[in-house]
Amino acid sequence: MFSTIFFHELKFWLKRPVTYIYMAIFFVIAVFMAATTAGIFDSITATTGSSRIVNAPLGVNGLFNGLAILIFFLFPSIIGASINRDFKSEMHSILYSYPFTKANYLFAKFFSAIVVVSLIVMTIGVGMVIGYRLPGTNADLVMPFDFQSYLNTYWLFILPNILLFGAIVFAVVTFSRNIAAGFITVILLLFVQRITDNFLYDQDYRYLASLFDPFGSSAVSYYTRYWTVYEQNELHIPIKEVIIYNRLLWLGIASLIFGIVFKLFSFSQNAMSFSFFRKKKGERATKRNFGGIVKIDLPKVTYDYSFIQNLKATWKITQVEFKYIVKSWAFISIVLVGLIIVLVALSEAGSQVGASSYPRTWLMLQGGGIFVIAINICTFLYAGMLVNRSKIANINGLEDVTPIPNWSLFASKFIALVLMQVLLLSVIMVAGILFQLYQGYFDIELGLYIKELFGLKLINYVIWAFLALTVQTLIRNPYLGLFVLLVLSIGIPLLSLAGIEQPLFRYNDDSGFSYNDMNGYGDSLPRYLFYKLYWSLGGLVLMLIAALFWVRGLPSSFSERFEIAKARFKTPFAITFVAVLAGFFLLGYTIYHETNIQNDRYSSKEQEELRVNWEKKYKKYEAYAQPRIIAVDVDLDLFTEAQNFEASGRYTMINKTEQGIDSIFLNYNDYDSTFKFNKENSLVSEDTLYNFNIYQLKQTLQPGDSLRLEFTVKNKPNTLFLNNSPVIKNGTFVSNMELFPNLGYNGGELTDDKTREKYGLAPNQLKPHPSDSTALGNTYISKDSDWIDFETTVSTSEGQIAIAPGYLQKEWVKEGRRYFHYKMDSKILNFYAYNSAEYEVKKDKWKDVDLEIYYHKGHEYNLKSMMDGMKASLAYNSENFSPYQHKQLRIVEFPSGGFAQSFPNTIPFSGDAGFIADVEDSEDGDLNYTYAITVHEVAHQWWAHQVIGADVLGATMLSESLSEYVALKVLEKELGKPQMRKFLKRALDDYLFQRTFESKREKPLMYNDGQGYIRYQKGSLVFYALSDYIGEKVLNAALKTYVEKVKFQEPPYTTSIDMVNHIKAVTPDSLQYVIKDMFETITLYDNSIKNVSSTALDNGQYKVDIEFEVSKYRNDEKGKQLFSETSRDSISYVPEGRTKPILSLPLQDYIDVGVFTTHNVDGKMEEKQLYLKKHKITAIHNTISIIVDEKPTEVGVDPYNKLIDRNSVDNRQQL
Amino acid sequence: MKLVIKDLTKTYKNGVKAIDHLNLEIGTGMFGLLGPNGAGKSSLMRTIATLQKPDSGTITFGDINVLEDNMALRKILGYLPQSFGVYPKMSAEALLDYFATLKGIHSKTERQALIKEVLEITNLYEMRKKYVAGYSGGMKQRFGIAQLLLNNPKLIIVDEPTAGLDPAERHRFLNVLREVGTNCTVIFSTHIVEDVKELCNDMAILNGGRILKQATPTQARLELKNRIWTKTIDRDDLEAHEAQFNVLSSNYNEDNSLNIRVFNAVQPSAEFIAVEPQLDDVYFIALKTDEPVAAL
Repeated sequence: MFSTIFFHELKFWLKRPVTYIYMAIFFVIAVFMAATTAGIFDSITATTGSSRIVNAPLGVNGLFNGLAILIFFLFPSIIGASINRDFKSEMHSILYSYPFTKANYLFAKFFSAIVVVSLIVMTIGVGMVIGYRLPGTNADLVMPFDFQSYLNTYWLFILPNILLFGAIVFAVVTFSRNIAAGFITVILLLFVQRITDNFLYDQDYRYLASLFDPFGSSAVSYYTRYWTVYEQNELHIPIKEVIIYNRLLWLGIASLIFGIVFKLFSFSQNAMSFSFFRKKKGERATKRNFGGIVKIDLPKVTYDYSFIQNLKATWKITQVEFKYIVKSWAFISIVLVGLIIVLVALSEAGSQVGASSYPRTWLMLQGGGIFVIAINICTFLYAGMLVNRSKIANINGLEDVTPIPNWSLFASKFIALVLMQVLLLSVIMVAGILFQLYQGYFDIELGLYIKELFGLKLINYVIWAFLALTVQTLIRNPYLGLFVLLVLSIGIPLLSLAGIEQPLFRYNDDSGFSYNDMNGYGDSLPRYLFYKLYWSLGGLVLMLIAALFWVRGLPSSFSERFEIAKARFKTPFAITFVAVLAGFFLLGYTIYHETNIQNDRYSSKEQEELRVNWEKKYKKYEAYAQPRIIAVDVDLDLFTEAQNFEASGRYTMINKTEQGIDSIFLNYNDYDSTFKFNKENSLVSEDTLYNFNIYQLKQTLQPGDSLRLEFTVKNKPNTLFLNNSPVIKNGTFVSNMELFPNLGYNGGELTDDKTREKYGLAPNQLKPHPSDSTALGNTYISKDSDWIDFETTVSTSEGQIAIAPGYLQKEWVKEGRRYFHYKMDSKILNFYAYNSAEYEVKKDKWKDVDLEIYYHKGHEYNLKSMMDGMKASLAYNSENFSPYQHKQLRIVEFPSGGFAQSFPNTIPFSGDAGFIADVEDSEDGDLNYTYAITVHEVAHQWWAHQVIGADVLGATMLSESLSEYVALKVLEKELGKPQMRKFLKRALDDYLFQRTFESKREKPLMYNDGQGYIRYQKGSLVFYALSDYIGEKVLNAALKTYVEKVKFQEPPYTTSIDMVNHIKAVTPDSLQYVIKDMFETITLYDNSIKNVSSTALDNGQYKVDIEFEVSKYRNDEKGKQLFSETSRDSISYVPEGRTKPILSLPLQDYIDVGVFTTHNVDGKMEEKQLYLKKHKITAIHNTISIIVDEKPTEVGVDPYNKLIDRNSVDNRQQL
Repeated sequence: MKLVIKDLTKTYKNGVKAIDHLNLEIGTGMFGLLGPNGAGKSSLMRTIATLQKPDSGTITFGDINVLEDNMALRKILGYLPQSFGVYPKMSAEALLDYFATLKGIHSKTERQALIKEVLEITNLYEMRKKYVAGYSGGMKQRFGIAQLLLNNPKLIIVDEPTAGLDPAERHRFLNVLREVGTNCTVIFSTHIVEDVKELCNDMAILNGGRILKQATPTQARLELKNRIWTKTIDRDDLEAHEAQFNVLSSNYNEDNSLNIRVFNAVQPSAEFIAVEPQLDDVYFIALKTDEPVAAL
């Protein structure tokens, strides 16, 4: 009996066209995605440059699994519906009386559906194999076909997931007899995955999250999270314990669920219903005799078919439709679970490095973004349910013969759908407000909630609703329709991969908007709304087309529907249609005209080509000697209301070389500019595409001679679609790099060697090696100047304060504008910025240095942290390195961006990077990142503004790594050493994780290419560890000598080699290896505790026996592990019971061994260090015994994670 | 008002010609559309009820051109399809309110009064708060009548409404229908001859998409006066009789002998007894004459 049902089911699906439609869709998507990642569109869009092999096992696993998520949306209609179909067709009343067992029936139904889904999912694999290999893909990105990658993904992840989610959906649909409920279940399951994903970020929960992620992807990343590029390209996913446990766990849960279905399922007529109330008492129903004749005398009522009354009817039908949606438990559950999910997301919103922000309303709105997908899917799903509802209920025969017009039926479904969206959007609002109240935060901006959710966001969803109703009306199979809509909504943004980049050509795409406290929505709304109006009309066009094809009655074929549509297309419909269509095209043309004709628009492909030609045309001038700017004097007028600026400036330049200079290369921006030199010259080349002019001087500028340039610059007028100026209404932040001209060829070349090869460019070395003494003429900040005198006058609106580096000389108001004259008293780098906003000011003093914070009213939360940070950093740096060069230090808030940047005596600091952080008074030592950022940025006044590296590899180590080091040291003084473990672990995790995304190469710290993960995370780890090895005092003394030598130096500039040599000089011979490991090479450890025991001694002390392993290896620039320095000098150890040896570089290393206990401090358990000492390690396997005074609870090798180790968890073990 | 159908043809995608150049005139009163399963009754009725477009032909009702002006007909149309479902989780009252809105009644009080009345007519008033989806077959059919009454229809089309009803339900249903149909045109399809006999003042027999016969039931029977004969035979003799006579129908007696009814202008033989013609005979004769001649 099993096989009969099984094959009957299978045949049913294999005979249906929809099965093949699904297969075709999956196939096409898989081919598209695979071919795209393999660079098939390189000829029409920007080049896919990467050192990653796209079809390496990990890549295959990622894409295959990613696309397979879509298949979950087929479960309700295939797996879920397999039993439901029998109910629907009322087949069950016959079928259930047949002589087969429940097991036969259920298993046959379930597994036949599973087989169908598994077949469909296989087309993804086939599509990928073909896509990677399509002619036109980049062979460098693709490796030979490897069957095992696909097979592993398929049987290890995809099949178990199909079984698990299939079983859940099967259970839900079987018992509820409601396919929509199946879809809601799928959405909820995707939410669960989002939550486990969140926990992955936290190392402490990573193991658990890996076990409990139902998709198994977290289990994979448990092993592959830190895989380097080399490993990603070469290795298969290890089928190891966490992955196996995870799969077994969820297969178990799948069987359990199926078992429950099996237990509860019975061949009965009625759906299972879950009732919280007791079943009503049964009543015996008898029919009364009703043979009598009744007289029919219907009351007189008025029938009215006017437009107005039809509108009223539309509203009435809308209510019925809306009730249908919201009264189902499936929908209610998505609202409730959605509320919880949004609350969880909100608790993460705005959090940075583990600390949280005050729940500003705009942050709440951002956090609500997690609900977007649910709103979209509900729109797609219920559009289908509403359109097909009367057909599914078989009530269409009654409904369609009533005199209600089609538009009324259609419109009511649309309105009901929009009402549903409003309801779902209000979930975000309710969650946001609940969260704010829970946090004891009462500055609830109700207006902002309403404006953004029910205005800006709602329009977006309404436009989706247009499309959803259209597709569902045309397709008439709600499940296929949902699937098509999902593919569209995911696919439309991906069109940019195929070179379709403009929102004009991508349904419901727009220019975006963003909100911040200082500047509100800025000028983003008119543009956004214009796009939305454009797409609303586009959606309306679709809806009108759909209305033509709206099914009334029972048309027998599509050609008949087409005939009906033709018949319906008559006035006034045709007029409306043409009008809307004309409006759509008119707006579209307006946008096109503005963005493509009035203004030059470059696709990413064109931008790439521009860079190529720029290099080909002008690189030859790179080595051409240019005068150096030595003084800058700028008048800048900021018109904040109109968002314009006008500037005029004067550069004083001098020929510092020993040869004459006959030409000036002037590199400027795309602004309206004029240039005038004070020496006679001729403009020999003017290039308004690259904004690069060449002036030939009449008389050669002799060594030591000076030259002056006067320039004016102002922005082109702003339009609705293009903002041609960086000025905003409140909170302008603009640096000289963006506004003013500079001298010489200034780089900006393509870096990916494969892309360069394609365009016939030589491979790119990124930057010269620091040992190249000819490359030390420029700092990494500027190519046309060393140290300058700086003076500026900046004007702004009367209500605003404008700030630039220097000291305020004079402030005055003229003609309703406020002027500020700033002058710097010492030399600075040619690197300055302007800020302007309506500021509040807080002032303080550190010694004789004036401290000021310019902040947005209402952002008072962390001013104290900032002041403390400034003071602490000033103190640490000036005590340890050199005096502070200015008499004033200012922090200036700007709206958003999540960063701060240090200019001479001025630190612009974004509002969302610390001003609203909820960190003050955090007792449990949560990272006060406002404080940490402040310390870091102030440290730049030394490490960048005093010591600045030459523009060669490793330059950022001198600025960023050192500033990070100072921040850690200052924090350590505040919090104590044991607390540092948290930060070090975080830095270690970030370093190890981010380096896996390296697209070119990873160099050792002192030769780094400037990647953030090296200069910040690795830099901070290395300097912190170094200070631990050689001592903070010794290190700082060496740095002090170094600073003395190089601060404010003229070229040639210093390099990382110089600094490291200073450090080497104070490092004992036994620790020289540390410098080599940390600065000169990429070195990683694999340290772990293997075994530990403690015995109480008679004298009350404890003897702790520790068995641990230490191994060390290097990575090459792709991340390949190297265990030998030269050749054959690696050491090895074979642990008991294993055959594969552990390899290591030779060891003469000093490594911390620590023993800890816990103490009860005021009711809280705190860790206490009983023993911490560096032991000299020469072998991989080590055993030592340590005597401690108290009963130990935990031991560790490198317990504070000072060394770089990819498994930092096994460094400690509890007793 | 008169329903006039001229030269109506409808062929389905799968090649079935459901309506074949059909001409029909139907006046006020109950009109029975008799035909076997698959005769095209439902297709015809759906076409009249504006649910389907024919390939060719015209339908007018009074001065309404039905195919051109769907809406005009829908305002005065009551239609009960052969099978229909209802929205789940909606009570009879709520569902009727919904239909009343669709049918153009916009005053709430008027809707309520009307719904109360139609519920009482169809004896559903006490069940008005219950979900219609849980109704028994007969109750559901009555609900169908209730919704049909809401727009006070002039043309009522009911498609095999008595199928599956128990005798009492059927009786009740036909009475209501009769009452409703006094002043309007009711087209009523069935394959049960009995229904037509009890109810209709006009009828047509339909098969293969064509009208085989149109007449009043009485007149149709009168036409056959003295042409229907019966005889009791053994089961084994049936084939011989069928070959020899125009056998319309045969029924078993309790002793396993058969009564056959034969259509013939004169007494076929001495054993035959003249009987009063019945509507069944009309039906069978009509179907028989339409049977294709077997190819030799």
